[in-house]
Formats: sequence, structure tokens, C-alpha cells
Amino acid sequence: MSAVVEIRGLEKRFGGIVVADGIDLTLTAGRVLGLIGPNGAGKTSLFNLISGVVRPDAGSVRLDGRPLDGMKMHQRARLGLSRTWQNLRLFPSLSVLDNLMVAPRRYAGESLLRLAFFPGVVRQAEAESRRKALQILERTGLADVANKPAGGLTFGQQKLVGVARALMNDARCLLLDEPMAGVEGQAYQTIQNVVRDLAASGVAVCVVEHNVAFIRDLCDEGVFMFAGRVLARGAVADLIADPRLTELYFGT
Amino acid sequence: MEYLYTIIILVGLYVVLASSFNLVIGYAGLISIAHPVFYAIGAYGSALLARDFGWPAPLAMLAGALLAVAASILLALPSLRVSGDYLLIASIGFQLGLLEIIKNVSWTGGAGGLTNIPAAFAPSTPHWVYAVIVVVVAALSVLAVRAVAHGAYGRAMSALRDDELAFSMLGRNAVAMKVGSFALGCGLAGFAGALYAHQFRYLAPDQFEILQSSAILTMVVVGGLRTTWGPVVGAVMLQALPQAITFMNLPPSLLGPLQGLLFTGLVLVFMFIRPQGLIPAADVWTGAKEAHDVGRR
Repeated sequence: MSAVVEIRGLEKRFGGIVVADGIDLTLTAGRVLGLIGPNGAGKTSLFNLISGVVRPDAGSVRLDGRPLDGMKMHQRARLGLSRTWQNLRLFPSLSVLDNLMVAPRRYAGESLLRLAFFPGVVRQAEAESRRKALQILERTGLADVANKPAGGLTFGQQKLVGVARALMNDARCLLLDEPMAGVEGQAYQTIQNVVRDLAASGVAVCVVEHNVAFIRDLCDEGVFMFAGRVLARGAVADLIADPRLTELYFGT
Repeated sequence: MEYLYTIIILVGLYVVLASSFNLVIGYAGLISIAHPVFYAIGAYGSALLARDFGWPAPLAMLAGALLAVAASILLALPSLRVSGDYLLIASIGFQLGLLEIIKNVSWTGGAGGLTNIPAAFAPSTPHWVYAVIVVVVAALSVLAVRAVAHGAYGRAMSALRDDELAFSMLGRNAVAMKVGSFALGCGLAGFAGALYAHQFRYLAPDQFEILQSSAILTMVVVGGLRTTWGPVVGAVMLQALPQAITFMNLPPSLLGPLQGLLFTGLVLVFMFIRPQGLIPAADVWTGAKEAHDVGRR
């Protein structure tokens, strides 16, 4: 199986706080990797470093062998890196459908010149984007709320919209930041199924999640992080059973 | 009749200014107070090209608008790479600084103003022709802003206004989009300035002072921010009402303050009674009509 994301020697400090301390990690095509660790371990910070929200002090990130160093967020996303956010970050002034329609990797309507001189190209791209967005909404059980404002949905539905929006990228790598926080019932199962299908189609998936049952059921492998370092990597069941890691996690 | 045509031309130009400012400040969410100076760039640019370089007026007008576009990109690019707040600061400096330059260099006519600007048409052309042209330009500007704000570009502007970080992570270039919206708005203001220059054939720096910015903003806010017709209603109302007062045969010493009071009073009334403006914007972005029935298929 091929490496999609390769992280080597990634370091980041905010003053005296170390959020990444020489992280080496590989995300593989078709595999779901779970990041486990207590609050402040550096899991979301690692996502921020990979996606370009913050710049590392040292180290490198490669996507399909291509170095991402110095690239801005939108450039990384255009190469096939997609993510969700712990705190949703939906667009409340858009409907659910429009939240998805603004998210394709290439967005024809982004250029005023293209709008002015090639309106047909934009119209065609919009029609394709709408078709794809509706398929994803159907798959994630959100078709009934397609025209509702995203900000007016239940928290669980909003989490689903976040995942659905990330799918519009046709990503090579998907980073899911606490997708199950506040989610229960049907949405829980839907997210699991969607992530499994994605991995089966060859996408490298990395999940940060405090819901250990979700991580255990879904992930092929787990990584335990603490104080910005990767302490262990292996089967999730083994990580959970390790008393040393449990002590670090719960602080008991 | 001539007076009426002049009013129509002024109202039309302010419709362009208010609609384009609505694009910048309303749809794109960019806080700038330099709109009057882009109006000035278009006016002076076009007037000087036609007067001193012999360019035909229509070509000079287009060039004036393009000059405004270029100047807006120069202003926005460095400011918006950092944060939107810097655009406000930079726009204040740009507005005040450029107007000072206009006032103090000889080739713009200085504080005394620029005279002998060539007319757009031969002197025998009836006055109403220009009024019709301005009304058509105003209508096209409103429709252009509407097409941009309620099409794919507008959807992206709305998302950008909501959350720039999430927007960028979708692969959208936030800086390019902000600069693009700003440049389009300022270019339209520049074209309005060019239209003004070749009609009234005299430009004075005082016409483009920073206070104009609050006048245009009031038109947008009173009419309805982020709506197609709000700025039109605002521009018509706030341009026509002060003119209507002039028919009351009041002494000039009262007329000026009364117009100011009316203007300020309207802002205060709207602030307390109808902050969303005469035409309220929808809570959720709406696009082309086919967007509305998608979920029901």
C-alpha cells in the first residue's frame, strides 16, 4: 500500500508549549489511522500543521511524494488534502447544499474573468457540482435538509454536513477532527459507513477522536500521542489495553 | 428640463456608486472608506487622458475605470494578505493621501480644480442622451453586481465572509477573491467618475472628500445592505430628497443645514427603527432560481 502523506521530523512550539516534537508519521492509501491521546497531546495541532493552518518550525510534510512546505492552505487542498474541524466551521449564511457546492477541489465560479468570458464553463461546472453534492447528501442522509440553512440544523446534522463538505474535494487524504463529538444515533453509523467506504476507495484517512469505541470499530491502526510526540503505534485494541498509555490518557 | 436631466444623471451615478460599494462592503464584507477616491481616479484619469492626450472620451472613460481597478489592486493586495482590518487603515491613508496629491500638483488643476474637460458628445447633442446613457450604465451596474453576488462567485463570497479559514481549506484562494471583489467594485466607481467628468466638465478635489464615503455608505445601509435594490432605493432617496428641499424657497443659509439635518435624521431613524434598511437582506444566501428546488427533486 502506498504512502499518501509522509510526515518527517515535524516540530512546532508556541513559546514554551511544544505541540509537535519531532513527529514521524505515514498515512497510507486505503487505511484509517486513529489519533488517540489526552487533551493537549497535539492531535489537532498535527492536523493544523499538515493542512497548513500553522507553519512548522522544522520538518516536512509530503502529499503523494510532493513537498507541501511553504504552501498555503488552499494550495494543499487543491492537491487533494481535505479536513473537517472540531468546532464545525460551517458557513451559516449558506444552505446545506451550498455549503457543499462551494467545496469542490476546483471551483469554476472563483474567477471573475471566467465568469465574464466563459459563463458556459461555469454553468456546466455548477451543474456537475450540484449533482455530486446531491449524491453526497443522499449518501449521508442529509437530502431532506439540502435547502435548509446550515446553521439551523442539529449539532449532529451539522457534524455530518462538515464530513459531507469534506467529501466534495475527492481528496487523497482526509483528516477528521473529532467527527463524533456530540453525534449519536443514525448519524454515528452514517459517518462510520462513509469513512469505511472512503478508505475502501483508496483514500488515506486520519481520525482524531475521543470516542474510543468509534476509533476501535473504525480504525485499522492507532497512534498514541502525548506532549507533541508519537509514543506508540499499533492495533487500537492493544493501545487501549496498554496500562502505561491508559495512565497517561486518564492521568491516574 | 435641463435641471431634471442633471438630477437624473447625478442619481444614476450615485446608483452606480452605492451598488458597487454594496459589493465591496456588503457582499464581500471588506471595510473600505476609499470609494470616493476611486470615483476621483476614474474622473481625473479619464479627464486628463481626453484633455491632455487627445483620447476619445469613450476610450478615456474605459481607461479611467481600468486605472481605478489597477489602483484598487495596488491598495488591496498588500493589505488583504495580512487581514481585512488593514484594508480599512490603508483605505483611510489612500483616500486622504491621494486627494492631497490631487490638490497639490499642477497637472490635476490643484485645489482650484480641473477645467476644460472635453465633453463626451458634440455640443449639439441633446442633454437627455447623456441622461439615458447614465441610466443604462446604472442599470447594467446593478445587474452586474446582482449576477456576481447571486451566482457561483457570490456563493463563495458569502462563505468567505462567514469563515475565511474553512473557506481556504476547501481550496479557495481567499486573498484573490477579496482583491477581485474589491477591484470590481472600485472599477465601477471609477467608471461613474469618468461619466461625471465628461458631463460636468469640471472636477474639484472637494467633490471626492472622505465625507462622500459616509454619504454612499448611508445610501447602502438605509436602502438595504447585501440586497440588489436596496442601494438603488437608497441612492434615489438620498439624492432626490435634498434636491426636493431646494424647491421650498428657503434662504440659502437654512438650505444647507436642513439638507444635512435631513441626512443625519434619516440615518438615526433607520438605526433605531429599521436597522436592516428599507429592503432587508435574506438570512441565507440565495442563488440562481434553480438552486431553490433542488432538494425537492
